[in-house]
Amino acid sequence: MATDPSALGAPDPDGLDAIRLTWNALPRSKLEASKCVIPLAACISPLRSNPNVVSLPYPPLRCKQPCLAVLNPFSQVDFNAKIWICPICYSRNHFPPHYQSISEDRIPGELYSACTTVEYSPYESNPAAIPAPPPPVFLFVIDTCVIEEELEFVKSAMRQAIGLIPDNALVGLITFGTQVHLHELGFADLTKIFVFRGTKEITKEQILDQLGLSGRNMGPRGPHPQVNGFNHPSGAVNRFLLPASECEYTLNTLLDDLQTDQWPVEAGNRSIRCTGVALSVAAGLLGACMPGTGARIIALLGGPCTEGPGMIVSKDLSEPVRSHKDLAKDAAPHFQKAVKFYDALAKQLVSQGHVLDLFASALDQVGIAEMKVVVERTGGLVVLSESFGHAVFKDSFKRIFDVGENALGLSFNGALEVNCSKDLKIQGVIGPCTSLEKKGVLCAESVVGQGNTTAWKLCGLDRSTSLTVFFDVSPSERSSQPAHANPHAYVQFVTSYQNPEGQMKIRVTTICRNWVESSVTEELVQGFDQETAAVVLARYISLKMEMEEEFDATRWIDRSLIRLCSRFGDYRKDDPASFNLHSNFSLFPQFMFNLRRSQFVQVFNNSPDETAFFRMILNRETVTNSVAMIQPSLIAYSFSAPPTPVLLDVAAIAADRILLLDAYFSVVIFHGLTVAQWRNMGYHNQPEHQAFAQLLQAPQEEAQIIINGRFPVPRLVVCDQHGSQARFLLAKLNPSATYTTAHEVAPGSDIIFTDDVSFQVFSEHLQRLAVQS
Amino acid sequence: MASLQPRPPPNYIPNPNQTPNLAADSFQNLQISGPGSAPPPPTATSGPISRAVQPPPGPVPRGPFASNGPPMAPPSGPPGVTPSMIRAPSAQSVPAPFPGSPPSNAPYTVPPPGRGQPVGAPYMTNPNLNPVSQPLQVGPPASAAQPNPMMGLSASQPNSMNQNPLGSMGPRPFPGQPSSQPYPGPPALASQPVRGPPQSFPGQTFVGQPPMGQPPMGQPPMGQPQMGQPQMGLHSMGPPSMAPPSMGAPPMGSVAPPFGGSAWQGQQRQGGMLAPVRMAPAGMGQQPMVSTPGAVMGYSPHAGAQVSTPSKIDPNQIPRPVPSSNSSLVYFETRQGSVVSPPPPATSDFIVRDAGNCSPRLMRCTMNQIPCNGEILTQSCMPLALMVQPFALPHPSEEPIQLVDFGEMGPVRCIRCKAYINPFMRFIDQGRRFVCNLCGFGNDTPRDYICNLGPDMRRRDADERPELCRGTVEFVATKEFMVREPMPAVYFFLVDVSMNAVGTGATAAACSAISQAISDIPEGPRTMVGIATFDSTIHFYSLKRSQQQPVMLIVPDAEDVYTPLQTDLIVPLGECREALEQLLESIPSMYQTNKIADSAFGAAIKAGFLALKPTGGKLLVFQSVLPSVGIGSLSSREAEGRINISNADKEPHKLLQPADKTLKTMAVEFAEYQVCVDVFLITQTYVDIASISVVPSTTGGQIYYYYPFSAVSDPAKLYNDLRWNLSRPQGFEAVMRVRCSQGIQVQEYSGNFCKRVPTDIDLPAIDSDKTIMVTFKHDDKFQEGAECGFQCAILYTTVHGQRRIRVMNLSLPCTTVLGNLFRSADLDSQFSCFLKQAANGIPTTPLTQVREQIVNHCINILGSYRKFCATISSSGQLILPEALKLLPLYTLALIKSVGLRNDGRLDDRSYWASHVASISASLAVPLVYPRLISIHDLPSKEEGDSVLPAPVALSSEYLSDEGVFLLENGEDALIYVGGMVNPEILQKLFGSPSLEGLPSQLVLQQFGNDLSTKLNEVVNEIRRQRCSYLRLRLCKKGEPSGMLFHSYMVEDKAPGSLSYVEFLVHVHRQIQIQTKSN
Repeated sequence: MATDPSALGAPDPDGLDAIRLTWNALPRSKLEASKCVIPLAACISPLRSNPNVVSLPYPPLRCKQPCLAVLNPFSQVDFNAKIWICPICYSRNHFPPHYQSISEDRIPGELYSACTTVEYSPYESNPAAIPAPPPPVFLFVIDTCVIEEELEFVKSAMRQAIGLIPDNALVGLITFGTQVHLHELGFADLTKIFVFRGTKEITKEQILDQLGLSGRNMGPRGPHPQVNGFNHPSGAVNRFLLPASECEYTLNTLLDDLQTDQWPVEAGNRSIRCTGVALSVAAGLLGACMPGTGARIIALLGGPCTEGPGMIVSKDLSEPVRSHKDLAKDAAPHFQKAVKFYDALAKQLVSQGHVLDLFASALDQVGIAEMKVVVERTGGLVVLSESFGHAVFKDSFKRIFDVGENALGLSFNGALEVNCSKDLKIQGVIGPCTSLEKKGVLCAESVVGQGNTTAWKLCGLDRSTSLTVFFDVSPSERSSQPAHANPHAYVQFVTSYQNPEGQMKIRVTTICRNWVESSVTEELVQGFDQETAAVVLARYISLKMEMEEEFDATRWIDRSLIRLCSRFGDYRKDDPASFNLHSNFSLFPQFMFNLRRSQFVQVFNNSPDETAFFRMILNRETVTNSVAMIQPSLIAYSFSAPPTPVLLDVAAIAADRILLLDAYFSVVIFHGLTVAQWRNMGYHNQPEHQAFAQLLQAPQEEAQIIINGRFPVPRLVVCDQHGSQARFLLAKLNPSATYTTAHEVAPGSDIIFTDDVSFQVFSEHLQRLAVQS
Repeated sequence: MASLQPRPPPNYIPNPNQTPNLAADSFQNLQISGPGSAPPPPTATSGPISRAVQPPPGPVPRGPFASNGPPMAPPSGPPGVTPSMIRAPSAQSVPAPFPGSPPSNAPYTVPPPGRGQPVGAPYMTNPNLNPVSQPLQVGPPASAAQPNPMMGLSASQPNSMNQNPLGSMGPRPFPGQPSSQPYPGPPALASQPVRGPPQSFPGQTFVGQPPMGQPPMGQPPMGQPQMGQPQMGLHSMGPPSMAPPSMGAPPMGSVAPPFGGSAWQGQQRQGGMLAPVRMAPAGMGQQPMVSTPGAVMGYSPHAGAQVSTPSKIDPNQIPRPVPSSNSSLVYFETRQGSVVSPPPPATSDFIVRDAGNCSPRLMRCTMNQIPCNGEILTQSCMPLALMVQPFALPHPSEEPIQLVDFGEMGPVRCIRCKAYINPFMRFIDQGRRFVCNLCGFGNDTPRDYICNLGPDMRRRDADERPELCRGTVEFVATKEFMVREPMPAVYFFLVDVSMNAVGTGATAAACSAISQAISDIPEGPRTMVGIATFDSTIHFYSLKRSQQQPVMLIVPDAEDVYTPLQTDLIVPLGECREALEQLLESIPSMYQTNKIADSAFGAAIKAGFLALKPTGGKLLVFQSVLPSVGIGSLSSREAEGRINISNADKEPHKLLQPADKTLKTMAVEFAEYQVCVDVFLITQTYVDIASISVVPSTTGGQIYYYYPFSAVSDPAKLYNDLRWNLSRPQGFEAVMRVRCSQGIQVQEYSGNFCKRVPTDIDLPAIDSDKTIMVTFKHDDKFQEGAECGFQCAILYTTVHGQRRIRVMNLSLPCTTVLGNLFRSADLDSQFSCFLKQAANGIPTTPLTQVREQIVNHCINILGSYRKFCATISSSGQLILPEALKLLPLYTLALIKSVGLRNDGRLDDRSYWASHVASISASLAVPLVYPRLISIHDLPSKEEGDSVLPAPVALSSEYLSDEGVFLLENGEDALIYVGGMVNPEILQKLFGSPSLEGLPSQLVLQQFGNDLSTKLNEVVNEIRRQRCSYLRLRLCKKGEPSGMLFHSYMVEDKAPGSLSYVEFLVHVHRQIQIQTKSN
């Protein structure tokens, strides 16, 4: 399995720290860094669970202002003087009184050299100070502009979810179509619904006012009482958000009565769907909750927003939903407006610390491209499928309520701080977070993603959440002088968050890397992580494609690759045949070849929604998973050999083989022609062909393992050679055999109808260009 | 109330419009326990009788004073009587002298116009004039002559027995009448006559008891003949110089006493008869007194007794309305060939036969002859207007309006002016052509409609075709009258559930009323209902059958509302009756703990409107507090107003204007989509009716006002009002236009409607209670002898979804003689007209000015009459046109009415103004000049009698401390309990020997005794007559409630206002000044 780190020859590349850098040895000068082509960046997975992470039941000890780095194994400790020196800023700090008993024999967990990552539970030592963990809040926002059948799927998914939600969790329900219906679950007498119109933008204040949550109409109740230091939500919020245990019956009744949107749809028109207002209302309602409460808006969307703020297309069917081409030509009239609206919504949610999850299930687009900003800024989940009846939706939806091993570990209210040695500057972060706008000396001038800050907010994060932090090497005059140089660079990541149980945790990871004098290429090469580099590059390019008009990603990749190969390749000038790459780089050209062909770069094969979806996942997944998105893994199953990874090439197809392709978003089981025939004839049901049955079964089992470990659940495609679904495989394969070379193809193999160049051609060109002087 | 039948059998009315009686009946059922169907008009019966009884008949003729005081003026049939009687009578079955009903009045009044003349003649020099006029003499003088016309003056003649005149008549009116006349009293009379004469002092007449008085007749030589003289006296009186016409206060003071004065009373007791005639009035002009004294004294010996007061006007002889009810049913034929008779008074009970002109209930003109040109009209100072009440309830015995179906062709119309075919279109040319009676255009008769003419030049089929022989018909509307399918009957209820509404019980009352009323709505397939509640947000309820329970949908945006559903908000009644009833039951408890004090009235009606927009329909809003949020929210201007007033703000009337245009704009939009709004204000606070009323008045709805709301007594009224609202004859999406003959044109429409084009008015809903006033102006001249035609066409949809055109025609002769105008003047219509004009003026003009205008208007009319039609009489005599003799009284009542009083609450005045805007002529008078009856001595009912006793004049003189009185104005009823009432009576009436502990907002109960039963009968009869469930309030002497009661005693003198007699003096003086100045 390609995603298995072992296949790439590195034992758990993420390690304890779950941090992977593009360059593990750092070029000393800016110039050198730029020659390295691949930016210096760290992919971190702050919540990655690892049994070896030490948990400390006290708050972290911090360096003095403005550094605030946390005490770590790289600190120099003077046990006698009870002093520690911060490796990042070199400040000397006295240990506080409760560390007085520290000695060489008795050192706290965070100083163990193996404990580069530790997790603090700041309140654990003092249970009295623990605020009762606020219950999580799930606010469902359900689209009713769908056909009866889809709605039934939604209802059954919801019923299942209601059964899974922890009893203490607060639940709310909003349904919407032409108008937004906010259900007052706490009203016993009859079904009570607040109705908001879909056409009008509505501010948070108005919503609270109109719901009677603003305190203006509360009469004697007056302002909210302060409880536990939190601004306790007024009792009124409880009209809408009820503990699951209390509203289960009501919710089920509501679901039973829930109907598709009753407003008529005129012929030739789309349903009128006011997703924007629905989300505003949801956000507004949560605004009445106390900040700090982990709350998710879980939106189930069945189509595009056609009215009001956030509208992406008019209701007139003759107007198609915008395509990449429209976006490129600036011919999507609603796009910018919608993005602006969602941007504001994102700000609101972030300030409240709440999350938006999107479950889009429609054949058409629903506007993920526009809503991306909200989901990404709040750290929400996003799932894209064709139908609410599709396994991709059903299983993914169920997963968010799972507990135990498979749980996503949905956490809230995260904040990430990064500290690093002075010679490094932080350019920014790509990933599901929002800048907290904490500027400081560590901020680089050039910005990538969420920059100009050293702290970020992660409203929602889970075990697999990854972020890419970009660094700039900018040594000061003094430190570039070898004499004064500290050979080490330190970076510390501090992530505080509220775990699914509501407890506050602070995870601190400190890493140390060596500076490399510019001349020593060897060390740099040794420190190169080509997978991480490929992923970082993919993220970086995606970002640039979104941010910069006219950005030609393919050419940019090509040029970068050529520069990289020129810099680190082993060759004689102008002799392509002599070209050779170090093993640390050997896969990189292939990654780039596949990246060029991937959905991240070749967006025109996809809708803007799909692209947005792919990129959001790319940005928030681990390096390993992201690599699979760029370059899928392919495993062959046959009678002749155990399951073997094979080249991602059309040549891998054989009539008697079963191929298992893992492209992350989809998992394809591809039966060769002969295998398919055997299966169709039912051999696997015959006792004497047990081996064949096992052969058929093996890839299925493997696929299931992949699916179970992944969120969103990938689409499983089972197909046969020459079948229509086979395109899911063929599209990913290196077109080494096309219709132009059809006559050379080995029997049983296949060809791909494309004019794309094959990897061989690509390599040849690369070699030639790399060695050019 | 006990008497209520919670669920009267649903009277399903297939077409209420056609058979109004049924509807009327159903209304009766409403409140009434058992009033038979008795159409009988309230009769004065009891009144007279009672009197008769109490006072020793013989001796005390003058009952007036007696507690029971007969209200009416004494019938002192002026000498004139005689003559007149003779001829006039002919016409009506009723005693000639008094045309219609008012026997009592008769005394002074000269005979009714028509016949009147004879009478008049005698006195007045001017034949023409006289007839009409009644001379009122201020001065005591000799005038005696005129029988009474003058208030008491005649005194001069000792024998004032003017009655005598009666004498002659005597026979007829009184005695005889019993049968014909309503007067129950008669019987008593009969006897009296006998003794009467004797005793009565010279006195004469007695007012109150007209009947009795007469006997004397014989003698009195009332000098009638001498009319002339009186005048003389007059001058003296005529304090012209006296200058201050105004009743100078000071004098008044002095005056007063005499009047109501103890002195009087004392005497009465004694002699019983004070001479009626001249009594009082001393008061009148303060000064006058001076001069008069002599005279007076001289004349009436008795008078002498009276202390100082010299001249007096006998209050008992001043013109007062005679209860029409006294008369038995009158049959009125709208035309007899070319003769158009003036209709009976609007307040009387009559049966109409439509003979070409429509029933006066439907259209009533301020004058029954039309001035040929504008100059005459201007000279008369009278308004030319029609009171149009297109769905007025007919008398049950009347022939229903006939429906004519012209099929595809549609009703025949004049090509030029689009007038509908009517009995006054003239067919010519063998019927092949017809000439329009309005525009004079000659049309070709449609081929299918041609019919030969008979020798009389009428179509031979004229009598078979209702449209050619009836003043009112309905045509089936063809497609061209429809913009869309006729709308269904849709009712949408909006209930205020804000904190105060729930707290006061208003919400519960409204829900229960709706629940009950709904069960009475006939369940046609096209009857739809919907409901919403509101506080600061609006709560709709989806009542679809498929749902187990209703779904509440809240529209929280009160600034910019919308409907939460496209369908299901309004559902066929049959499908949701049960769900709705359950919902209504639970609403009060659902909002029991509502803490939201704000109420978004504007937003709520907008939301209701949006729900109704596709169909149109009626929006019934139950509002309890000042709308404080959302669109059209209002501020508590009342409080601000108070502050400003103290700051001497000169324009308090601004507070009677709508606060802004928001609601008006909304209302116009509602009207466009055929949404009619009725607002039920169930409140205990100021709600700014001035602003709110704009909505109903623009959409053809009305305001109902329950203030201060009592959860104990008001729910019954609320229910009955609502039920009547839903079940009365009505139509939807109506358009109305009045056409008239060339020579005049419509000047203005006024009433509750929306007007978008100059010629038509749009009425999202129209019902039997609504009246529209149409004023006219001349743009050309008529030929003497020509007829002026009016045609009102109203296109509407019945509650059953049929599109109809109701066409009402009225054709009146034109005249150039001013006297004819006065003779044919219609008091009820004219007064309605003043009333409405006054109401219109309230928001824009300072009160004092409004009152001044009204008084001036009255003076101008009377002055015009005096100047042009009664020139011969001396200036010292106040001469009133017979037809308008009550105008001064009503004018006085009007300026003292709730809407024009200084001390009224803003809301009361606004409500009054809004109520008046659509009030019918038959209810206009009682609203201002309420009916007062005594109820401690209700007579037992006799065959054919009305259950109502004769009314008492609105003067505290007629109230006795031992009595219990009921005063009603068609809206409210006050029960006044004197200070020394026999506890037994209280026990009988109220079930308690004392008033301690009785709530002032009374719930009438039936106690098992005769008196209580009778009282209930009386109240129910009044309710039936007024089509209104009266709010009963208990007024105790000496308490604020008693003060309230006294404020209705319009004939009394009150701080800042004149007594009736003083007012007459004032009017007289003004006329004199006017005359002089010319």
